[in-house]
Amino acid sequence: MKTGNALRSLLPVLVILALIAAVPLFSPSNRFLSLAISAGTNVIALYGLSVLFGQTGILSMGHAALVGVGAYAAAILARDFGVGFWTALPVAALASAVFAMIVGIPSLRVGGHHFVIMTFAFGQLLAIVLTNGGDYTGAATGLDIAGPVTLFGADMSDLTRYYLMVVAFVTAAAVASWAIIHSSYGRTLRAIRENEKLAASLGINVGRHKIGAFVVSGVFAGISGVLLAYFLGHISPSQFSSFPSIYLALMVMIGGARLIEGPLAGGILVAFLPEVLNLDPVQSRIVYGVCLIAVIMLLPDGLIGGIVRALRVAFSGKPKQEAERDAAPSEARQ
Amino acid sequence: MDIFIQQFLNGLSIASVITLIAIGVTLIFGLTGIINFAHGEFLMIGGIVTWLAVSAGLGFPIAVVLAILAVGLMGYILERGLFRFTLERPTNGFIVSLGLIVVLQHVVVLFWNPNQKSIPRPLTTVWEVGGVRIASVRVMVILITIAVVALSFRMITASRYGRALRASVEDRDTAALMGIPVRRYITGVFVLGSALAGLGGALLIALFPITPFTGGTMVMKGFAVALIGGLGNIYGAVAAGLILGIVEGFSAGYGFSQWTDAYSFVLMILVLIVRPHGLFGGTSGPRMAS
Repeated sequence: MKTGNALRSLLPVLVILALIAAVPLFSPSNRFLSLAISAGTNVIALYGLSVLFGQTGILSMGHAALVGVGAYAAAILARDFGVGFWTALPVAALASAVFAMIVGIPSLRVGGHHFVIMTFAFGQLLAIVLTNGGDYTGAATGLDIAGPVTLFGADMSDLTRYYLMVVAFVTAAAVASWAIIHSSYGRTLRAIRENEKLAASLGINVGRHKIGAFVVSGVFAGISGVLLAYFLGHISPSQFSSFPSIYLALMVMIGGARLIEGPLAGGILVAFLPEVLNLDPVQSRIVYGVCLIAVIMLLPDGLIGGIVRALRVAFSGKPKQEAERDAAPSEARQ
Repeated sequence: MDIFIQQFLNGLSIASVITLIAIGVTLIFGLTGIINFAHGEFLMIGGIVTWLAVSAGLGFPIAVVLAILAVGLMGYILERGLFRFTLERPTNGFIVSLGLIVVLQHVVVLFWNPNQKSIPRPLTTVWEVGGVRIASVRVMVILITIAVVALSFRMITASRYGRALRASVEDRDTAALMGIPVRRYITGVFVLGSALAGLGGALLIALFPITPFTGGTMVMKGFAVALIGGLGNIYGAVAAGLILGIVEGFSAGYGFSQWTDAYSFVLMILVLIVRPHGLFGGTSGPRMAS
């Protein structure tokens, strides 16, 4: 009964993703597909960020660095060891997870608001190290990553096929993040978010679980990095410095971090808004910034959370914090 | 030895600008709890205002005053309009400031393109003392910073406003009961910090060309220095700013310039791990807002 209830919260996302997977039937333009693929790689990282920020309540401002570790791991593996996409995927995910642990242990020790500053600093540091890494990291120009992505002998490099593959990965990420939210582990993380001291008094090892959540988000980021590297064919340090990190945080805030639809909505909105409104990059960034501020001030649960709440109010006149309970329907069971 | 003194002087002028940002950060973050990462953009706007004023034919001193006033006013509007509502939840304030970074940078790009902007040096005299070339503009920057820092320090430690402010940080409710308008002090500190960033920007553009993206690295240095020195501790910020500026000056002078930006991050990470309250001790994190 409870599982059915939880499954129902996953259903809308699966329906939306199925619709998205059907888009190639309408022969979309290459530009649309490219935008959608880069949005998709972002969404995968955002699902990791939603576990960290939405469930555990800690924000990483260096998340693009974790994506970068995955991307560079894939590129270096391909160059030095001739390792292909599918082998690089778990290795890069592991590399990002390890990097997340290395960053997380000292950063979470300092705690509080300093954590975001620490992650920001580590992210910047990584970009500087990559820039100064000489030939090994390709310095400021970065690395090329050649080599086709094959699946069961089929070449996936074709834009439409790559698009479908990314959609599959996004689906996997959404399901994984949903599974974490509805597991007892997710409940532990929410307990830490709501009241750290209380959680600790219940015997929850707060420090270890926070680092754990950061490592989990690192796995998502690493996978996103590999997909991004193979899609772009070229990576450089500036793609993973502070500003991409800000945009990732922005996307997760705009979509709302606590709902399963949030990361998907945030990633898609931020990628396609400038197309729809026909804005140039400068104007669209101003719009993003204003949106971010507006969302934080007016809709703390993100856009989707706000819409859900507005609908609830409109239909049943209950201005309760339903949206939040939606993300955590199992809490009532305790 | 000549190179040594030369780099020491260059480092000192960089340290001055960093110190001005860091004092703004240390006061705002340390005393009001607002984590304003857009502080670097405040600095950049100060530089842009100076550039506009000088380009319009005004003298440098007037341009500096305009920069201070403009950025101070911007700080007032943003604190009243945005940050005031985030006092209870500093992380929200932090995210708002990230949005502000994006908005402010690109508004500047939109109106005045993303290219480098520079002004003719306000002072062109260069003194030669025993083989060391001393640019008077650098000396000016250092002297202005010393004067401003001394003034701020005196205001915080000796005036009755400073005492009321420190009381508010110590215990907000009791301070409010004693008749201290705590909220107004928060606004005041924010405006003061912003004005210092405006001054920093005006001095920075006197030394180097700036771009709309200059703020990004500068704000990290400001936060690094504020955290290393201990939040809310002006003396600590000055000491840490000097250390960082001089280390950067030397490393640039001896051929490690590509690593200069890394020092502040490494130093900050180390200090936060080993001494979370900074090298010189500060408020134990922002308390006023929580």
